[in-house]
Amino acid sequence: MITKKVSKKDIRKLLTAWNQECNVIVPSRVDGVVGMAAWDNQDISFLDWYRNTVIPPKSCFLPKSEVMMSFKKNENGLKLEVPTGEHWQVIFGVRPCDARANAIIDHVFAVTYDDYYYISKRRNTLLVGLSCTNPYDSCFCTSSNIDPTESEYVDLMFTDIGDDFVIEDFTGGGKALLNMSNTVKKVTRADIDKAKEVKAAAVGQVKKTVDMEDVDRKLRSLFNDRDYWERISAKCISCGICTFLCPTCFCFDINDEMIRKEGARYRGWDSCSFRSYTKMPMENPREEKWRRVRQRVCHKFEFFPMNLGINACVGCGRCIRLCPVNWDITQVIAGLPVEAGVKSGK
Amino acid sequence: MEKELRDQAAKLLEEGTVDFIVGFAAGTLKHTTTPLITGDKDATSSLVINPFISNNLATYALEISGRLGIVAKGCDSRSIVSLIQDKQITRQDIVILGIPCSGLIDLKKVEKLSGKERDEIDDIAVVEDKVVITIGSEKREVTAATVLFDHCLGCELQIPQEYDFLIQGPANEIRDNEASREKIQELKQMFPDQRWAYWKQQFSRCIRCYACRQVCPACFCERCFVEESQPRWVSPVSLWQDNLIFQAVRAIHVAGRCTDCGECERVCPVDIPLRSLSKEMYDLVGEMFDYKTGMNAGAPPLMTAYELTEVESLIR
Repeated sequence: MITKKVSKKDIRKLLTAWNQECNVIVPSRVDGVVGMAAWDNQDISFLDWYRNTVIPPKSCFLPKSEVMMSFKKNENGLKLEVPTGEHWQVIFGVRPCDARANAIIDHVFAVTYDDYYYISKRRNTLLVGLSCTNPYDSCFCTSSNIDPTESEYVDLMFTDIGDDFVIEDFTGGGKALLNMSNTVKKVTRADIDKAKEVKAAAVGQVKKTVDMEDVDRKLRSLFNDRDYWERISAKCISCGICTFLCPTCFCFDINDEMIRKEGARYRGWDSCSFRSYTKMPMENPREEKWRRVRQRVCHKFEFFPMNLGINACVGCGRCIRLCPVNWDITQVIAGLPVEAGVKSGK
Repeated sequence: MEKELRDQAAKLLEEGTVDFIVGFAAGTLKHTTTPLITGDKDATSSLVINPFISNNLATYALEISGRLGIVAKGCDSRSIVSLIQDKQITRQDIVILGIPCSGLIDLKKVEKLSGKERDEIDDIAVVEDKVVITIGSEKREVTAATVLFDHCLGCELQIPQEYDFLIQGPANEIRDNEASREKIQELKQMFPDQRWAYWKQQFSRCIRCYACRQVCPACFCERCFVEESQPRWVSPVSLWQDNLIFQAVRAIHVAGRCTDCGECERVCPVDIPLRSLSKEMYDLVGEMFDYKTGMNAGAPPLMTAYELTEVESLIR
């Protein structure tokens, strides 16, 4: 790994250089909502206000809705068209929690199964991470073993040391990006020390913590405890915010839309919080709210560890921050009965 | 106020008058509260009353079985009454713990005003008609009207009219009807094509999380039309046209049931100004039918009754 630096006042130049080779995606605030959007070749004010997005970066690979194929009826039958355009893109400003989240979703769409639509976007994307030094009060990434300033899931990692960003590169793609601009300079020992200082301080900024020890076993033994799940799900209103805006939730639904003789097949987000989820083959097996809440919690903290050995929550805190009723997952984890893990014995 | 509420709630549970108390407790994040649903009288000691109790708890009356003691602000009490009118709940099953309300803090307004996000703001204190915002060592005093929710500025019932117990406390009248309708007036001044472009942009962001519908006590349909598949009225794909149709139908559907509690707009994670639709419907209902939702539990629901004096310009 080679460490470099770039001056903050050169960021526009750097992004401009990248933008000539590929699409540059940056944090953007449209009508007050922060998401990732194509850079306008100009505005870098996000460096001042950006903390994290409302819409997680998963939407760059699994958008809220996308065309899988379009179809048109003509005299010869049916003409099908699958979107093929693959574009190189760089996403600038991915936080370490979301970078790991992308790696978790990869298991679903790129490891256990090759999903054309996901992979065609993901494999053409370079991720530029940005150390997180001003987390929200809902953030608890450190409890999920994530350092808010480190990531092995990005191509480059930027850390703000005042007038400059210290840049660590992790991949060939990252190196290539650095070679595109002469704004990238050598670092001094003092820069590296400053970056270390900033990183050490950032970890302490994450104030919310929760003990994840044994969570999967505790949940396994509580699985059939209906009273427990009814109690903790009582205030949930069954909307889709926590799942849609979760960087690791990936459920989708497929629908055909047709007007007259043409239309398209769309894929869009779906949520296990909905009563109408998985209704297609029959009725929803999780008709009652407590079963749906249980599914969401157990999928992240019990089934993922069981199947892949990883916990699927990165502690980004969106589900807490954006929840209409402040349903707080950390409270639920912290409140799991201690004896629950012991009872199951494993 | 809080002490009186806690005592009353504990008493109701102890005497067995209600099975559950539905109120507000402190939230886990700064300047937030969370619904508290409990059958444990000791838990009532965590009930709070403050300017952040945004949720309309009437929505829980639809789903929790048993007798409920519900903490209700004016607008929430109107939602409860409306549900009684619509025969979704029965009056005997609900004990209304009415609380006076001087308006709630719109955190987005405070964020905009201070240039800081919610969790970066140390304190937000209401002192009569002023609000003091503290960030670090800096204190800033603004008139309450600048940071209250738009719907609170148009509030028509600060003290519940229908209640079983009324907690005593101040209800400062901080009213600004013009500000309450400002966004709507802006929209009305647009040319139709501008307005169309505006809503297209807004609804392009919609992610169809249905939080607006789920928090709304007036949205009590067992099966929502958006989920019907035979026939299908609207696509489940979050395309802006379908998102707009969903919301337009919802606005019409809750007309006469909406109490302008503002929850739909508050909870929207992508900040779609939904109240611009619902408040316009609310005011139209008032103008056309001289009807105020949820003010009289004995009155028939708006859409089930007809008076000869009503405006029917469509037919005439």
